[in-house]
This record gives sequence, C-alpha cells and structure tokens, in this order.
Amino acid sequence: MEVESSLCIRCGACVSVCPFDAIEALDSYVRPNERCTNCGICKKICPVGAIEVARKV
Amino acid sequence: MQEKYDVVVVGAGPAGSTAAYAAAINGASVLMLDRRRELGVPVQCGEALSEDILNELKIKPDPQWAIGRTNAVKIVSPSGIEIRISERKVTGKVGYVLNRKVFDKFLAVRAAKVGADVMVGTYVDGLIIEDGRPQGVKAWGMDGKLEVSAKVIIAADGVGSRVARWAGLNTTLKLDDIESGIQFQMVGVDFESPSMTEFYLGSKIAPGGYAWVFPKGEDMANVGLGVLGSRTERRPIEYLRDFVARMPNLSKGKVVEINGGGDPVSGPLKKTVKDNLLVVGDAARQVNALTGGGIDSAMRAGNIAGEVAAKAVSEGNTSEKRLSEYEKRWREQMGKRLERYLKAKNVLVSLTDEEMDQLAKTLSVVKFDKISLMDMIRAMTKAHPKLLWKLKGLM
Repeated sequence: MEVESSLCIRCGACVSVCPFDAIEALDSYVRPNERCTNCGICKKICPVGAIEVARKV
Repeated sequence: MQEKYDVVVVGAGPAGSTAAYAAAINGASVLMLDRRRELGVPVQCGEALSEDILNELKIKPDPQWAIGRTNAVKIVSPSGIEIRISERKVTGKVGYVLNRKVFDKFLAVRAAKVGADVMVGTYVDGLIIEDGRPQGVKAWGMDGKLEVSAKVIIAADGVGSRVARWAGLNTTLKLDDIESGIQFQMVGVDFESPSMTEFYLGSKIAPGGYAWVFPKGEDMANVGLGVLGSRTERRPIEYLRDFVARMPNLSKGKVVEINGGGDPVSGPLKKTVKDNLLVVGDAARQVNALTGGGIDSAMRAGNIAGEVAAKAVSEGNTSEKRLSEYEKRWREQMGKRLERYLKAKNVLVSLTDEEMDQLAKTLSVVKFDKISLMDMIRAMTKAHPKLLWKLKGLM
C-alpha cells in the first residue's frame, strides 16, 4: 500500500481491517510495514481514498 | 516517568481516560500512553452523546465541551418521508453534541489529576511478552524508545487496536463489520432545530449506513455519513459531497473541518480479557451497531476495567480468571443492549430502499409521545406482514 499523505486524515480505519498487522498509524503519518502484501483491503475502507495499492505481479 | 507501573493504558480516548481515572482513584499507579500529541485530534466521531453516562459517572456537563443539547430526532427515509421523535417524551432523556477536542482532553486531565501519568506523542509498537503473557509495552516517541512494565495492560487503542491482537485476540474487522465514516464540520448551515439530530437513510445516500446532521449551536453542524465497508462503491467522501450538494440548507454552508474514521459495528468481541490484559471501548467493539455510537459504552467499560485492574493488582492476582470480573460486569450492564442493537442493524441493512419507505410511511403517522420500540415494531409488522421475516430479528 501507499498512502497519499495530502489526503490521509490519519484515522486508522485501514489498520482495523488489515489482516496482516501491516499498517502503522502514527500521529503524523500512516505507512505500511514489512508485512504488507498489497492485498488492497485497506483501500476499500479508506474514507477519503488516500490509499493506492501496487498491482500484484 | 517510571519504568514500572501497576496499570498501563494504551490510548487516551474516552475508554482509556476513564479507565486510567478509575484505576488511579482505586489506588493503582497508572501510565496512559497515546500516539497523538494533541488528545482529541483528529476527531473521529459525530460527537453526539446521551446524558446517561455522564449521570452514571457523576461527570457534570461543562459548556466548554457539551456545546449542544438535543431532545428530538428526525429520521428521513430514502424517498424523503420524515419521522420525528421527541426523545424527551419517549425516554425522558436528552443528549449532548460534544466538542471532542475539549472533551477528550478534559477526561485525560481528570485522570491525571487523580494521579495517572500521561505520555502523549508516544507510539506503542509492541508488547513485552514473558512466559506467554503480556508484561508491559514497547513504545517510542518524543523522548526516544522506552519499555514500560505493567501488571495489567488496558488496550484502549481504538478501532484499529493492535494491542489486543498482539495479545492473541483476533480483532481484525471484516468489511461487513465496519462503517467508514466521513464528516464535515460546517458553518452557515440551516436546520430545523438546534436541538434536533437528523438521520438520512438510503442506498444512494449512504449504503449500509446513514447520513447525519448534528447541530453545534445556531448555524454550525457536524454533517457526516457512514457507509458499510462491504457496500460502498465509491470513496465515502464522494457520497458526503453528493449529500451536501443535494440539500440546499447545507450546500450554502462552508466546510471548516474534515474528519473521519472507522466505526466497528461487529458487536462486541467474544472475549475481552487475557492474563494481565483488558480490552475496552472501540478496541473491544463495544459500540451501538445501529447508530455507531460508542462513547457511552467506552466510558462505562473503561470505568469497570480501571476499577477491576486496580483491585486485581492490590490482591496480587492479575490472571485472566481474576480479570474476568471486568467482562462479567460490562456484559451485565450493557451486553444485552449491544446485542439488540446489532440485531437491529442487521435488519436495517437487509431492507431495500422501498421497504424503508413503506415502514417510514407507517411510522410517520404514529404519535410518538409515549411509545416503546416494541410498539413501533408491532405497528410496522401489522401494516407490512410481508416484512415480518425481516423484522422478526428485532423481537
């Protein structure tokens, strides 16, 4: 996943649906950790559409 | 800052701060940590609260954070049929629209004043686990890395709770079990009454959820909506832009804040206790699944959790068995109610727009001066026997 920080409201909704504990939501930014599989479930819950997911190869 | 505490609370929202207060006042040494440098920010909430919980916890409403009083509800069906309910007449209660930025800070200060230590801007990124049990937390923040040991850890880390996960409780939400919420704080808007909260239903407006208008004074309001994660076909903020644009009384207003967040509508976790660990609030999914409201349950659970944690520490027994008093007590106080709201939500999301309109038509002619939920359901099923199989979930 990639987070567009100019859109992100740092709410952490993405963290709650991530099956891999792969998202770190800090006070000032949200970012994936090494467990991210680019599954894309976080993109579906983001209220503002701040998440992009790289296409699987 | 010490390196050892009786109780460490992760998260300083209403659940965490109420737990920290209750643990401290019952004699425990308490540290409360939060990732945020400014508590209450960003707001992730419609900010409406029933007065019950304030009475229960003997918290006096302060105009600094209780900025609006509400005593009536308007529900609007997909085709625009309006139902008005005077809350005061039906339940004898009133509600508040809060300023969460001030309210959350107030609750944290309340905990600090009775002795709880507070660290803001501190991100908890793991548990210290020894002998298979959590014994503390790992964190980093403004003062660098730290490890704090604790006899009891209270996970109050909100909808995205990871603390409970790290302790072995599965808290991952399915897209069916979470509302994606987005809200504009608007100024220069009109509404029917500053003491009336408004709810708008419909699959075009907010699939699997609803839109709301919660007045904050004379010409300000929280205007927001929640959509069920599994139902949304667009970015939630686009539904909200459309909703505002369609409402002349809102579209002339100006957006002065955008906030949002996930709201767990799964019903409470099956298990909220482990050895040395309690889960409270949104982290425990202690939310009214029908309305998405969770401040009151969070504070109720936090209060019990803090008290049980302090007592367990003083007895030198923080095993799951000892701490399960927390789970027993919160389920006694609100377990049945939360189950009932979950059933009602499941019924609501099963209804088509046409069915919602039919039911609204029936209810719009009912006098709501003195009527119970059961009376409403009876009226609905009598008028719409075909919907009985859906509505029976409410009984």
